[in-house]
Amino acid sequence: MKRTVVPMGPQHPVLPEPLVLDLVLEDEKVVDAIPTIGYIHRGLEALVERIEFSEFGYVVERICGICSFMHGMGYAVAMEKIMAVEVPERASWLRLIWAEMSRIHSHLLWLGLGADAFGFENLFMHCWRTREEVLDIFEKTTGGRIIFSVNKIGGVRRDIADSELTAIVAKLQELGAGFAETARVFETDPSIRHRLSGVGILSREDAHAVDAVGPMARASGIRLDTRLTGTHFYDRLEFEPVLETAGDCLARVVVRVREIPQSIDLIRQAVERMPKAEGAPIDVKVRGNPTGETFERLEQPRGEVIYYIKANGTKNLERFRARTPTFANIPAMIKLVKGCDLADVPNIIMTIDPCISCTER
Amino acid sequence: MNSQAFLDRVGAYHRDGWRLAIINTTSILPTEGMEHGAFDISWSFAQDDGRFEHLRERVVPGEEVPSISAFFGAAFLYENEMRELFGVNVTGIALDLKGQLYKTATIVPFSPSAIRARLDAIGRDSVGKKA
Repeated sequence: MKRTVVPMGPQHPVLPEPLVLDLVLEDEKVVDAIPTIGYIHRGLEALVERIEFSEFGYVVERICGICSFMHGMGYAVAMEKIMAVEVPERASWLRLIWAEMSRIHSHLLWLGLGADAFGFENLFMHCWRTREEVLDIFEKTTGGRIIFSVNKIGGVRRDIADSELTAIVAKLQELGAGFAETARVFETDPSIRHRLSGVGILSREDAHAVDAVGPMARASGIRLDTRLTGTHFYDRLEFEPVLETAGDCLARVVVRVREIPQSIDLIRQAVERMPKAEGAPIDVKVRGNPTGETFERLEQPRGEVIYYIKANGTKNLERFRARTPTFANIPAMIKLVKGCDLADVPNIIMTIDPCISCTER
Repeated sequence: MNSQAFLDRVGAYHRDGWRLAIINTTSILPTEGMEHGAFDISWSFAQDDGRFEHLRERVVPGEEVPSISAFFGAAFLYENEMRELFGVNVTGIALDLKGQLYKTATIVPFSPSAIRARLDAIGRDSVGKKA
């Protein structure tokens, strides 16, 4: 049968960012997909040559406007590990709280974009309205809505008053109660089920074979979540990752929908368990230049991110590398697209929650 | 590097159910006795229970590095990146994108010679040390 190559992207109605896939078609079936990235490749990793390690955190959090807090946190934690810095307990709790708030706003952003992609614009508006209120909390506690700059090597730059933390939990629980109706629509609406159920199935075996991470893996039944390793204070909380087994587009939606109330509950637990110590130190002074290397892993909203840092005792790092979850999930995306109908490609790509800014760091 | 011994070790990780977490390349700048520089490459594997292990090799530019995509399908992406951004001579990639993965203004922008040229331009003898 004659093959046709249809370029998808860099501009496409469902893609907020410039991913490029050359789709090889036989009739309406996709038989191959060739990815190209690099339309917005910024070479941020190479900036370590020019920017000192103490300032590089500002660059790292600009890898992505959605995961910016967790990029900043991952960099700070990795540098603290290399420099053997012990961070005050309150700073670690605050990082955990902001990290889970990042997960909530990232999932809400994606659920809105996903709803828009499968033609449910009203749902898009509900999700983004809720997200705005989470961003309001970010603005109130960090001063920023996209770029926060609250992480530093040695701790955090801002504290949150105990009374404010209590109010944040109450506000998030109120948002969670309101989101329950939106969640019900995502999980049960017949038109959504018709569009997503049974589409783009990634079996558990395939998810393992292509090394999928994050909600992609968990929607295929793999209990993979960096938070399970207990680092970054997650060992002090009761946590069990949300799992689905169908592995289809709907399962990937449902995992993210259910992770929102879970993150709200993790924040509640954190606020309840962190010592009431307003005014306690939130950072320590860091002196000297780093020497050594380390890997650091975090569970970002899209899945496991890995940072590699190598320092040589000078003010500039020798190497900084971020392996983002979208990068890790591109093989899964290609696996899913092969064999599907052309009309299903946009939804399949969207349910990966691709972040091209992260991938094109 | 001893390709067969390396692939045997990678195969053992695959058999034991590890997943490929990251392949990372670091360029080593040219020095006396290593005039074209080198690459430090690490292949990191993870288990769902949190275990995280690495294989490491130092290779010189042009030296063949065998692809591990026969064991870990997702490796093709890292390996195409290693070739396009660093100039590592990876051979036998299951999905060879033939230089089409990245669109960059500079050819192999993270190679030792490219980094050397950038450092020369800003007057440094090495990363982090002023000339």
